[in-house]
Amino acid sequence: MQRTRGTYMLILTLTAGLLVFSFVTSAGDLGSFGTTLLSGLFLGALYFLVASGLSIIFGLMDILNFAQGAYFMIGAYVTYSLFHMDALKGIDVNLRFPLGVLAGTIIGGLLGAVLERGLLRPLYARPIFQLVLTFGVAIVFGEALKAIWGTEGYGWSTVTSFGIHQSQFEIFGRQFGSYRLFVVAVGVALIVLIGLLLQRTRIGIIIRAGVEDSEMVEALGINVRAVFTMVFTLGCAVAAFGGAIAAPFLGANLGMGNAFLLPAIAVVVLGGLGSYMGTAVGSFMVGLAVAVVARFASEFLNQTVWASITPMLLLILILLLRPSGLFGKESR
Amino acid sequence: MQSIQTLPRWRRVLQSNWLYLAVLVFLIVFPHLVGWITGDSPFGVGGRPRGQSVFWQSVFIEVFILTILTMSYNLIFGFTGVISFGHALFFGLGGYILGLVLQMTDLGPEIGLVVGGVIGVIVCGLLGFLMGLVSLRLRGVYFAIFTLAIAEMFFIYIGRWPLTNAEDGFALNNIPELLNSTRNRLTYYYVALVLVILTFLFIRRLINSPTGKVLLAIRENENRAQAIGYNTLTFKLVAITLAGMMAAGAGMLHVILNKKVGPETLGLTYTVDPLLMTIIGGVGTHAGPIIGTAGLHLSERVFNREFIIGSTTINIGQNWSLILGIVFIVVVLVFPQGVVGTWARWRQRRRAARAPTESGRSG
Repeated sequence: MQRTRGTYMLILTLTAGLLVFSFVTSAGDLGSFGTTLLSGLFLGALYFLVASGLSIIFGLMDILNFAQGAYFMIGAYVTYSLFHMDALKGIDVNLRFPLGVLAGTIIGGLLGAVLERGLLRPLYARPIFQLVLTFGVAIVFGEALKAIWGTEGYGWSTVTSFGIHQSQFEIFGRQFGSYRLFVVAVGVALIVLIGLLLQRTRIGIIIRAGVEDSEMVEALGINVRAVFTMVFTLGCAVAAFGGAIAAPFLGANLGMGNAFLLPAIAVVVLGGLGSYMGTAVGSFMVGLAVAVVARFASEFLNQTVWASITPMLLLILILLLRPSGLFGKESR
Repeated sequence: MQSIQTLPRWRRVLQSNWLYLAVLVFLIVFPHLVGWITGDSPFGVGGRPRGQSVFWQSVFIEVFILTILTMSYNLIFGFTGVISFGHALFFGLGGYILGLVLQMTDLGPEIGLVVGGVIGVIVCGLLGFLMGLVSLRLRGVYFAIFTLAIAEMFFIYIGRWPLTNAEDGFALNNIPELLNSTRNRLTYYYVALVLVILTFLFIRRLINSPTGKVLLAIRENENRAQAIGYNTLTFKLVAITLAGMMAAGAGMLHVILNKKVGPETLGLTYTVDPLLMTIIGGVGTHAGPIIGTAGLHLSERVFNREFIIGSTTINIGQNWSLILGIVFIVVVLVFPQGVVGTWARWRQRRRAARAPTESGRSG
């Protein structure tokens, strides 16, 4: 209990510190502060979508899925190209986007199932090869995307877009795109949804028990392998969904995979490997940290590079200071 | 036939290493052989690096460099069982440090090479040591995460570092004349070859030493090695420090060959390549890295062009990485022992199948 209370205090202190730092350095300009906050929450929501699968898969099966970033990319590419496909131009834009997201998510999930069923299952006896294999799969996916869509990235044009992507709202005397807020809302909704799934359903109980001790769950007569496949599929589908809803804002490019995989890994380590609560909280903390540093670095240091390496610096700091993460058990 | 123990020492060495020695002899005469067949001098045509022999020398120098990198990766991945996703860091950083010392100081090419080389190797060894110190006490996956993060961080940062011309990198023109790969490529070929041999012998000696035995024990079962009383962290740190130093050396050879230092040497390619080559060649074997590197690099040279089959043109080179990735996945799933391991197992099985008939004949 003592430790939990300390953890909450730590989270509050760190978050408050980030916000105060951001507020002070934006010199009382509420609009600029609002931008930082919104982009932090936006990144946090996307990090969560990549990290949640990473974390649950790790907790349950002891596999750190290095291909998770590739699934994010697949979601973005599929949604982008379906939305901009000439053959589908007849469908109303407000319907075409959800359809694209759905297709991206389903394709991501299917590829996830293929990866777990076909490639990882034969290797459960050799964990080091599983790690190597997911790394190899990430490369294959990246190369396949390159072969299909080319090396040039795509930006989502705002001209032929759908309702929420174009609309804006105003706070602190500044215009913000509603789309980022929409992504944040979707992220929060998914945190609640996955949380309820884990807490309130039978399958959720099995997953949580599996995180504690999957051999014991198997001994109780539950087909853990089937649960593995399901969790892996869902984890990849959620990552692909993240890429899909990020596409209207970030477009689709080959750098996305690593740009979201590494922060997601930082999130998972910060939250504590396998802890759902930690992943949810950690996502927004890392998102805020990246946004605050990005703002500060571009405004005062005139060097945007710091924003890109913030997740790695965070990861290093966490491993140095608190390797078990916020909510993790003492991991060794 | 004489029993192997009673043979004189040199015959024993010869008998157990004849294949390596044959390859070595081939590599020594190779530039001259190509020169003799094609009629192009191995020293270049008209004082300039032209002709088949010189071309193939540069291909083989690249193989040598990648072999050193792969052997160093095999030391930690194959022999110690620790997986790193950031080996390119040492490769690239070694090249960068040497390049900076050569270009930014006025020590002169020769002294600059020695000073830069020593600093680069020490820095990379130290970096490997520190990275291991932080992450190796935790579960194995943390080291993979940590190395990936640090390598990616350096890649992004140096790719935008104004001092080294960000993503363009900078050219090296302050190289000792003897190692100038344009004018003295044959010399460079032999220098690289000697370094490959030294690395190979060093790793083999290390693995056959008591320290190496502990490394192998860690790979097989770390808990047990710890229970026997070894401080496994120390041994893993030794392996990672040495691997980092060797990879730095390979990176230096690479920048001297290309006379250019660029951030692509820090990129994921130079982590993925040694990983692929180790696994395809044979994890934890001495010949594996050599076979894997030579096989992959040479086949890339052969296939990296357009093929015309019937009326369709297929450009394999464009999708080379994709093919390589798929091959890699197949190898991990089907032949996790790689070429060397699978071959050894096949031979063993054949010998086992033949043994009863032979004893039956004699009896």
